[in-house]
Amino acid sequence: MLYELVQSTVSGLLIGAAFAVLSVGFSLTWGVTQVLNIAHAAFALLAAYLGYFASSYFQVDPVLVLVVIVPLFFVLGVGIHQVLIKITAQRAHDLALSSMILTFGLAVVMENVMQVLWTPDPRVLKTSYTGKAIFVGPIAIATTHLISFVLAMLTIALLYVFVHHTLTGKAVRAVWQNPTGAALSGVNMGRVTNITYGIAVATAGIGGVVMSLIYTFDPSTDMVWLVYIFLVVILGGVGSVLGALLAGLIIGLTVGISGVFIPLVWVNLVLFLALILLLLLRPSGLLQR
Amino acid sequence: MLRGQQVTKRFGGLTALNRVDFAIEPGQIVGLIGPNGSGKTTLFNVITGFYRPEEGRILFDGHDITGARPHIVARMGIGRTFQIVQPFQNMTALENVEIGVLYGQGLSHGSESQARAQELLDLVGLGHQRHTPVRNFTLAEKKRLEIARALSVRPRLLLLDEVFAGLNPGEVKQAIELIFHIRRELGLTLLIVEHVLGALRDTCERVIVLNYGQKIAEGPPEEVFNHPEVIAAYLGSNETH
Repeated sequence: MLYELVQSTVSGLLIGAAFAVLSVGFSLTWGVTQVLNIAHAAFALLAAYLGYFASSYFQVDPVLVLVVIVPLFFVLGVGIHQVLIKITAQRAHDLALSSMILTFGLAVVMENVMQVLWTPDPRVLKTSYTGKAIFVGPIAIATTHLISFVLAMLTIALLYVFVHHTLTGKAVRAVWQNPTGAALSGVNMGRVTNITYGIAVATAGIGGVVMSLIYTFDPSTDMVWLVYIFLVVILGGVGSVLGALLAGLIIGLTVGISGVFIPLVWVNLVLFLALILLLLLRPSGLLQR
Repeated sequence: MLRGQQVTKRFGGLTALNRVDFAIEPGQIVGLIGPNGSGKTTLFNVITGFYRPEEGRILFDGHDITGARPHIVARMGIGRTFQIVQPFQNMTALENVEIGVLYGQGLSHGSESQARAQELLDLVGLGHQRHTPVRNFTLAEKKRLEIARALSVRPRLLLLDEVFAGLNPGEVKQAIELIFHIRRELGLTLLIVEHVLGALRDTCERVIVLNYGQKIAEGPPEEVFNHPEVIAAYLGSNETH
């Protein structure tokens, strides 16, 4: 029993970091631009497929494919903002609602395109290190989990440094806290919003590859991931990088540990009961003042 | 310095500004008054790029700034405070002001930008609270910070939107002294929107009166405040003090 508990605590934490990196970009766009990008998880899924095909057809490690995915998805994010969101923002009375419907539509289109292109079959990523593990005493750590953890933590650390310790990050925080005040201080809102979208979608790309190292996926998996994203963002607080990390780890732990005591299908029930409790007690997230 | 020609702004069927002409010369203090909904704040929003006028032009130092985006207007040298203060709540006072120094003036981040921000905080009397998160400030302190933030883009023209609203008489007196002090120190031109008419009588050389989006009077305060149309405009609204 104790062994199982320690084992699932470790794997829960590793998985939790993946949830965090999957969600942090969603949290950022929501905080800075008031837009709930429902298609965030669909972009992650697209990255998972790109990594999958690179590894199965070209024998390239999916982690290495990130060298292409990250800049590509940055451009994609800027494009989404310029082409879709900006036009909606100019005409919508309620940007949060309109953009939610718009990006939901985008997610549905992306799901269907992926289904047509790549069939509804579930995919399992096979890398050179799949099935291998590192042992710390009796505790086994799957190599895929370890790599996804390192990748996730690295991404979140870089994002934290960007938001809190760079000049552009200062502008991002300014727009997030007060768009009017930021414009009056000479901050170019359009540029900050573009950068936010670019970074958010790029981290979705990393999140997708990280998730594909742990879970199987098919063209509709993005909606399952979206549920985790909402959990992380509500628990961690909108726009908070550290909050997303903390929330991801807590959710990973909950998934891991409750799996020891109850059947796996019941784990989501535990998560959502916890979420309802949280919304009752701390509606603006754990770290918010 | 600032010139508006036939400025017109409509919201659907409502004409918020109707062919308004105005001119402000360098070094002047000009008041902008009018009852609620007369178009004062709309005019500020048109000047600072938050709204684009349907007709007319705005010229700043001879440059056409009609419809330029807010951050461009700020960088050109027009600072502005809002009636409802617009601080960055989770940043310190110093950080709040430094944003404008960095982005409005284009200074690079470092000891110089911090020193500039510190000077501005000293100027408005918040120097000792530079590391206090702004969410802990009182309204009077937030209004001072709002002025420092407006100054952070190094404006030549400062637009003040109801800086005295919500302050008690003692704080109003201090705020007036502060504005005169700043103007002397920095050689600014000022355009002030105000409801507290007494405050304007003592500060402004010239007053522009708007009513239902139209300019109904302009001139020295004593003259304008006794103008029959101005009295009529204010009588129905109970706002003359």
